[in-house]
Amino acid sequence: MTRPRITPYSAAHGLGAAGHAARHWWAQRVSAIALVPLVLWLVWALANGGATDYAALSDWLKSPINTILMILLLIAAFHHAALGLQTIAEDYIHSRARFAVIALVQLACAAGGAAGIVATLLIAITS
Amino acid sequence: MSYPRPKSPNMQNYRPQLTSVMSFGHRLSGVALALFAFGLAAWLVAGAMGPAAFDCAQAVVLSIPGRAVLFLLTLAVFYHLCNGFRHLIWDSVRAFELRAIYTGGWAVVAASLVLTSALWLWVLT
Amino acid sequence: MVDHSDEVDEVPRLKWPRHFPVPRDFGVAKGARIAEGKSWPTPEGATRIATLRIYRFDPDGDEGPRMDTFRVDLDDCGPMLLDALIWIKSKVDATLTFRRSCREGVCGSCAMTIDGTNWTACTRAMNELSEPATIYPLANLPVIKDLVPDQTHLFAQHALTEPWLKTETPAPERERLQSVEQRAVLDGYYECIMCFCCTSGCPSHWWNGDRFLGPAALLTAWRWLADSRDEGRGERLEALDDPFRLYRCHTILNCTRTCPRGLNPGKAIAEIKRMMLERGG
Repeated sequence: MTRPRITPYSAAHGLGAAGHAARHWWAQRVSAIALVPLVLWLVWALANGGATDYAALSDWLKSPINTILMILLLIAAFHHAALGLQTIAEDYIHSRARFAVIALVQLACAAGGAAGIVATLLIAITS
Repeated sequence: MSYPRPKSPNMQNYRPQLTSVMSFGHRLSGVALALFAFGLAAWLVAGAMGPAAFDCAQAVVLSIPGRAVLFLLTLAVFYHLCNGFRHLIWDSVRAFELRAIYTGGWAVVAASLVLTSALWLWVLT
Repeated sequence: MVDHSDEVDEVPRLKWPRHFPVPRDFGVAKGARIAEGKSWPTPEGATRIATLRIYRFDPDGDEGPRMDTFRVDLDDCGPMLLDALIWIKSKVDATLTFRRSCREGVCGSCAMTIDGTNWTACTRAMNELSEPATIYPLANLPVIKDLVPDQTHLFAQHALTEPWLKTETPAPERERLQSVEQRAVLDGYYECIMCFCCTSGCPSHWWNGDRFLGPAALLTAWRWLADSRDEGRGERLEALDDPFRLYRCHTILNCTRTCPRGLNPGKAIAEIKRMMLERGG
């Protein structure tokens, strides 16, 4: 990227501090805390044979509690994944392609989350 | 000078330590779980599309390679979960002494292996 | 001085794996590939010998870096690695170049990568080394000559944290007073000798060293944030509030593992993040 590198201090200073970086860090931690019980629930429910065939899946997700928990899990998981993948892209990609990758990651996670939530609702509502 | 300054090697000769290896494992399991999240969404969409589509998806998931992937995924889940706890403890500025870092690290490795085997033993019996 | 007598033994216990499982020249720029260099003869009449493989680079020559193999007579030199390097320089190869000063672990000059971890050569005993021992300059820094890295960028990042007291209140007639408890908060942070073992061993700094400040600079930043006499906390936190300057730290903790003074940069960075949160990030 084009950034002034005339003196060591200007190289270290770069473009200055961007600000508002703690929000990303905090959101990652909050979604992590939310994911702890939700993932344990998912693992336990699936291991308990909650979705061995279509009938079991339908019964499992028809219960309102399970529907809500699954939707919360999808929101938290895709939010946490989007933030984490963005961090990975910032770490390893140093060219301008970084912006394209981050945009792709955000859009893909939004799409995945939306698809999962709609699918859960459809399974819960339709018979 | 006639030869430009080389950069001293970093990863090529730096010793892998519990700290860096576990951090890399946390990142790797995180990426695997992100892919799993997309897989979960796809699996739910298959369920929403009706019994035929869902049975097709289940056949893939419960096949032998599918079960192998599921095993690795549960390992990733438990590792990322236990190491995630360790990260949250660090974020509250606790357990930063070298002894605590190392004890916690080995405890996380042991816990993820134990939880994964316990879960799969329970499921398979 | 920080008491770390109950800490984990700083010398890595497991002798293997010695480095990450990547090929020797993985991702290395063509000019930085390391060739095999000269193998110096065994000293005559020596009974206890240590073999050291040392990174060499001659900026006045036409070749790239190489690894020279030296054999040191342990009965003829002092117990520490720095003594062995000085022995080599005086008796074998006078062109071996390295920084050194205090020879007791308080100046930070002789920091280098020894057997894959960063440490000061004057506090690494010869009997703690592998056979053969590998000695490289501090990781991921431009090499001026042999074991002397160019730390200009690291010092610039340190200067960026403005490591001085910032006050609005006019100076009192005597000292700015501080209680014993307030002074105790600085213990473990003021003792940094700027050897840059931590920053040079941080993988996040390897990948983003141009923008990530690194553990040494951030430890200094915390030392001033924590000082009760300092009145510039808001300015300091604003300067650190950046996804790269502070938040490239992912708590990998190679820094705490490798500090030759037993300090804890990882903890200092966690304290900064907590203060950042309190500020309302």
